[in-house]
Amino acid sequence: MNASGFGNIILITGLLLIISGCYCLIRTYHLLKITIGIELAMKAVTMFITLAGYINGNIDLAQAFAITSIVIEVVVTVVAAGIAINLYRKYGSMDVRNLRKLKG
Amino acid sequence: MSAMAYIAVSFLVVPLIIIIINNLISRKAAGKVSLYMACACAVIQMASSVTDFFLLSAKHLHEYKFTLLWNMEEAGAEHFGVTSLSLVILFCIGFVSLISVLIAFKTIEHKKISYVNLLMTLILGMNGMVIVTDLFSLYVFLEIVGISSFVLIAMFQSETGLEGAFKYLVMSALASIFILTGLSFIFMYTGSLQYSQIGDILSVKDGSQQTLIYAAVILLISGFAVKTGSVPFHSWLPDAHQSADTAVSVLLSGIVIKVAGIYSFIVLTNLFSGVPAINLTLAIMGIVSIVTGALLALRQTHFKRIVAYSSVSQMGYILLGISTGSTLGLVGAVAHIFNHATFKSTLFANAAALHEQTGTLDINEMGGLQKKMPVTGFSNIAAFLSTAGIPPFAGFWSKLLIIMALWKNSMQVYAGIALFSSILTAAYFLRMQKKVFFGKVPAKYAELKEIGGSIKFAEIMLTIVIIGAGVCFPLALMYLKGRGIL
Amino acid sequence: METVIYICLGLMLIFGVMAVMLHSMTKSAIALAAASAALGIIMYEMGAVWTALIEISVCSGLVTVIFISAISLSNMDKKELEKVYEDKKRMSLLPVILIVSGVVLVIAAISAGVSLPEANQTVNTSGDLREILWNNRQADIWGQIIIMITGSAAVVVLFRERD
Repeated sequence: MNASGFGNIILITGLLLIISGCYCLIRTYHLLKITIGIELAMKAVTMFITLAGYINGNIDLAQAFAITSIVIEVVVTVVAAGIAINLYRKYGSMDVRNLRKLKG
Repeated sequence: MSAMAYIAVSFLVVPLIIIIINNLISRKAAGKVSLYMACACAVIQMASSVTDFFLLSAKHLHEYKFTLLWNMEEAGAEHFGVTSLSLVILFCIGFVSLISVLIAFKTIEHKKISYVNLLMTLILGMNGMVIVTDLFSLYVFLEIVGISSFVLIAMFQSETGLEGAFKYLVMSALASIFILTGLSFIFMYTGSLQYSQIGDILSVKDGSQQTLIYAAVILLISGFAVKTGSVPFHSWLPDAHQSADTAVSVLLSGIVIKVAGIYSFIVLTNLFSGVPAINLTLAIMGIVSIVTGALLALRQTHFKRIVAYSSVSQMGYILLGISTGSTLGLVGAVAHIFNHATFKSTLFANAAALHEQTGTLDINEMGGLQKKMPVTGFSNIAAFLSTAGIPPFAGFWSKLLIIMALWKNSMQVYAGIALFSSILTAAYFLRMQKKVFFGKVPAKYAELKEIGGSIKFAEIMLTIVIIGAGVCFPLALMYLKGRGIL
Repeated sequence: METVIYICLGLMLIFGVMAVMLHSMTKSAIALAAASAALGIIMYEMGAVWTALIEISVCSGLVTVIFISAISLSNMDKKELEKVYEDKKRMSLLPVILIVSGVVLVIAAISAGVSLPEANQTVNTSGDLREILWNNRQADIWGQIIIMITGSAAVVVLFRERD
């Protein structure tokens, strides 16, 4: 395949991964699985950044972006897990259907 | 280094110093001193932004570039830069943080040290957002703002607080994914993401390569719209505002949704002025936000939820001002950012006062509090008259500028709908005022007294600012005309 | 080089779908770690050597440890998980959706003629990343320092048990 087709395949795979991550986010009932969905989508985005650097020729700048993005991803995961554990301590289960106090 | 360099660097250095001091001294001493230190940081930020504004205009510079501990002259190095627009927003950041600390003197009893830590990182994130000159650094500081605000909402571990924080986290993570995907699509075409280098590269692309650029712009607009809280991504905003402590709600509504959302839109429209239909999209989002926010506020019974939906509505006005693309619209939008910060802070300060004295925020349970809490009642009237755009309060001038900009740009339908929704704004606020402050006093509140201390001081100061800004606005307009902006 | 990348793309998709659809949370976290490893190999083949190293050590290692410690604080039996959350049934549409959207995207890409710019084969050697990161992108480094301070303040305030 030519170089352009190679990039297209990676693009399509990345979009499929983002779709599965968002689908997991929307349909699940378990608090920690929402975090796994967010993680999966951010991995696809890291792949997009590296692909952009590869096509551009400027792979080092893309590496700098990707490293910063990984740091942000870890901190978001830690905060989400922290809030999930606090909710578990309040309600006794990790079910999303418990969160019904705010309506309207 | 010159005076300007010291002042410009202080936006980043002062909060860092306060975080370090806050954590190094012993816990007991920090518990007493930390809120005063946060107050000092906010006042220093307000003073330095005003000083820098006049220094910048005296030297006739458009932008002042500076760096913090590294060399600016190397090839491809990025730098920080302050322009007049960013100095106005920095002043608003300092002002709203001051109000939040004044409210926090009364409402926060435990966890003061953590509150000050997180407030300092939030201020650092917002300062960083307005002074960087690179799209990826904008994203990094946007994430800092987001994470600080989730933890601030969830900090007090109430059930509603954790739920509101989790909903906000999920929607904000979706927004980050969209924004990063859009950024990587743009990065595929241009070699770097700095503001100065994107604009000239994007204009020379031909048709077959424009699909990805259009997709990138749509993704960026959706991501920033989630952060602004404009329709159809507004569902996190009322929940987050209602469930957070009032000192945090002031921050969220007064400055976070504006810096994280509206400032990013301003950057986006500056960079992508060659792509058509951005202005139309922003205008449609603005109009729908105004009407939806106003209609949904009419049926709420919780004080803070009414104020939150009012925020959604006012963000629509600012989006309309930006979407005209003209300087008049931009000036109107920035003026409305400042005015909205003042009257929204007043409303939340009143909410804190009501909650402290009566213990509830349900407007059906309150009534006739005008006799018992006169200062709160009067500042509430001033705030909602300013929101509805009634002269001589400050809100009238900024709405006038936005509607004039729309008229000049031949978007008369939008101007008409915006004018009509001022009536809706007055309607829902009048309903709230009538139920809370007029009417008969319920028996259980017979012993009620006015709120004292720092919240009363904040309310009085804000009322003076609202009336004073309304009276002095024509002077500001003449000053801008003298400098050639208008 | 290209065949390795295609194999790893396929592995990443399979592990990702497994992470979404499995019931047991620990197996889900391990599937996510395997997807990170596959991504690391892809990035190494494209020339981003340092990022592949950090991705495998941080995402495959650190984040998985965080997940498993959070999961073990809320342990539930596997049969109970299946009864309460019903993940396999709720997510069973996922492979169908993926195949359908994959076909749609391929057709859209061919018909719209989306063509990425030509790949530049002049990939720099790995010595330049450190210069770029520390000389050019200092604003990002300040951002990373601040975000780590925020993360530690968040952990202090969220995980404390005493009142």
